[in-house]
Amino acid sequence: MSAQNLVETHNLTKQYGKVRCVNAVNLQVPAGAIYGFLGPNGAGKSTTLKMILGLARPTAGNITLFGTPVHEKNRIRLLSQTGSLIESPSYYGHLTGEENLRIIQTLKGCSVKDIDKVLKIVRLDGARQKLVNHYSLGMKQRLGLAAALLGFPRLLILDEPTNGLDPAGIQEMRELIRSLPGTYGMTILVSSHLLSEIDQMADHLGIIRKGELVYQNTLESLHSHAVSRIALRVSHTDMAMDMLRQDGIKISSEDDYLLFPMMEDSYVANLCRRLIAQNISLYRIEKREKSLEDIFLSLTGKETSL
Amino acid sequence: MNTSYQKALKAERLKLKRSPVWLAFFALPVISAFFGTMNYRMNLAVLQSEWYSLWSQHSLFLCYFFMPALLGTYCSYLWRLEHTHHNWNSFLTAPIPLLSLYLGKLTQAIWMAVLGNLWIFLLFYVCGKFVDIQSPFPSAAAEWFLCGVIGAVVICSVQLLLSLIIRSFAVPIGIALLGGILGLMITNKDHGLDYPYSIYCLGMRANNPDMTVDVLTLVINSLGYIIIFAALSVLYLHRKEISAG
Amino acid sequence: MITLKTEFQKIKRRKIGLTIFALLGMQFAWILWTAKSANEKDPTQGWLNLLHTLPLLNVIMMPTIMAVLASRLSDLEHKGNTYKLLRTLRRPGILFNAKVLCGLLYTGIISVIQVSFLLALGYSQHYAGAPDMYYYMLTFILEFACCFSLYLLQLNLSLLFFNQMIPLVVGLCGSLLGLVLMYIKMYSFLPWGGFLSCALVGMDWNVETRVVTYFYREHSTVELCAVGMVFIWIVIFYVTGRIAFTRKEV
Repeated sequence: MSAQNLVETHNLTKQYGKVRCVNAVNLQVPAGAIYGFLGPNGAGKSTTLKMILGLARPTAGNITLFGTPVHEKNRIRLLSQTGSLIESPSYYGHLTGEENLRIIQTLKGCSVKDIDKVLKIVRLDGARQKLVNHYSLGMKQRLGLAAALLGFPRLLILDEPTNGLDPAGIQEMRELIRSLPGTYGMTILVSSHLLSEIDQMADHLGIIRKGELVYQNTLESLHSHAVSRIALRVSHTDMAMDMLRQDGIKISSEDDYLLFPMMEDSYVANLCRRLIAQNISLYRIEKREKSLEDIFLSLTGKETSL
Repeated sequence: MNTSYQKALKAERLKLKRSPVWLAFFALPVISAFFGTMNYRMNLAVLQSEWYSLWSQHSLFLCYFFMPALLGTYCSYLWRLEHTHHNWNSFLTAPIPLLSLYLGKLTQAIWMAVLGNLWIFLLFYVCGKFVDIQSPFPSAAAEWFLCGVIGAVVICSVQLLLSLIIRSFAVPIGIALLGGILGLMITNKDHGLDYPYSIYCLGMRANNPDMTVDVLTLVINSLGYIIIFAALSVLYLHRKEISAG
Repeated sequence: MITLKTEFQKIKRRKIGLTIFALLGMQFAWILWTAKSANEKDPTQGWLNLLHTLPLLNVIMMPTIMAVLASRLSDLEHKGNTYKLLRTLRRPGILFNAKVLCGLLYTGIISVIQVSFLLALGYSQHYAGAPDMYYYMLTFILEFACCFSLYLLQLNLSLLFFNQMIPLVVGLCGSLLGLVLMYIKMYSFLPWGGFLSCALVGMDWNVETRVVTYFYREHSTVELCAVGMVFIWIVIFYVTGRIAFTRKEV
């Protein structure tokens, strides 16, 4: 158990009937990180986060928060340093935004001044006297974030926080989340089904697929997987393939193209000369990036549409 | 053939799928019939008018206190489907006139009023046979039934308006209970036909099957009330603005 | 205590009292109506008559009033999906207690108002003699306990089911069952019979002379057990409700 992980789960499992929607997940969220929790809809993201927050009981496994194993007795005390926004925001529609925050502030026991601060942060200070029933979906989402920020907790758990926001709102939410570790020293566990979103926001990444954590590392390390390859299209594919095989190069074919790992310029130049000498016509030679999307798709399974 | 009204009606039926709300209309009359029949048998010395006596025992509490509240519960449920989960947005933007949408709701309520009343009279008949009443089933019961249904529809039209305006589920039901009790007092002062919540009891001849009721006035007053409350409901729907989100 | 405070922050602008007290007002009008005719027949029976009428009207009205109260306090949580946030801030048991205490306060106020109304009515109508304060206080305690037991039942149902039709229908059925139990004299088997078990004044109606006489009931051992049942219901509903609420996943 490493001390610098704010959240750790060990073989966390949740079974509904016969279906295991979360299967032996070992999450590790380092202190100060923005941890992107990525997976297609229905992969088990919300269920995992709900178990961490004690909203759903694990079938098996355990959870460590701030280095302390969580049990029923200390759960609320540990969660007092946590803010959360799960799926849709929680609110009392017949109360104003400010009154809603007052309730959470009372329960958290934090300073009344925090209400003003968080309202400013999420830019709802203009709408504080409005009934939440009259808020737009994006405003409700921002109110939910404000409630999570109250008391400026050490850990923030956000489930699909950009749901229902317009493009400008999404951008704003992203920038806000990115600024929180630096400004308030928070650690953030944020889930999304969009790789691009996590890519722009997070520095650590966990990918969940059908209830299983299939990848967990820094985002940087994922980028290093994003290797480049060379794609070749020629008139006699078989002959070219033989020639490359004889050079001892791992090769694959896709559509009409031959694909092989990135090579030095001198080798590629030499290859071209040899192909032409064999009377093989060279139609195309391209550099291909294996994008993050491709890696993500191969990790989460291509059959799942996002 | 597919008028907008039929579409609205079909949509309402689909919405009520898998919600066993009719169970309530099944259970309450059973309790009332059970209790009424029991009381009838224990007090045969006082209750000598056979079917009429039995009816007074069956209908007393049910009609005054419980049917208005139960119909109110159903009407609250019909609108709660729209009050929750942002369903107003799709309800009001459906390509169907609001009048049809309203009539879809009202028809469901009427349907439940008819079924509920049928069940009450069926129980009345079965219980009468069970306690071995010899005289023939009173033909007047048909009139009680029809007048009762009309009275029930009046209550439905009021409750639909209340539940449409009031977002809370429970408050309109409280009002229905209040209305029923107030109806008891107003009926006692002989103004029952002028008051929406007591037309039902008078129509059903609750507790007093011998009383004479001016059926023509009952029908005219009921129709008047139904039209007024339906019109107010549709007007409200037309002017309704949905709060954002 | 802090959690209870938020219960009252939550119901701001809900005017929960308005509905409840409108229904109480109706009940008072009803009592006034019956009391007037009873007083004209025999003014010496006035104080007893009031104690006889209150439990009877409570049987009819209280299950529904309690259903309305519990539903109003619970439905705002359903509508706003709030428990998934609140449960990260307080243990479920504490959140449940806050709802229970909030209802306890309301039912307490309702019972105080009811008994105060009876006393005010009797004095203003110049009933003969003085009210027997022992019986009036006892009525207050017992009616309070009955209301609270039904509130707990309704609260459990309202918290457990999103569909508020279920608890409201149970409330209505309960009122009717209470009346049934009155006639077959088996109050204690169901919680709605509590008001009748606890009724301190009985009524004797002479069929021939059509004269009504009220009297303080002698509670037999069996009937005292029935009164005790009310308190047992409170414990049962509290414990089961708390367990169900704690186990529920949101």
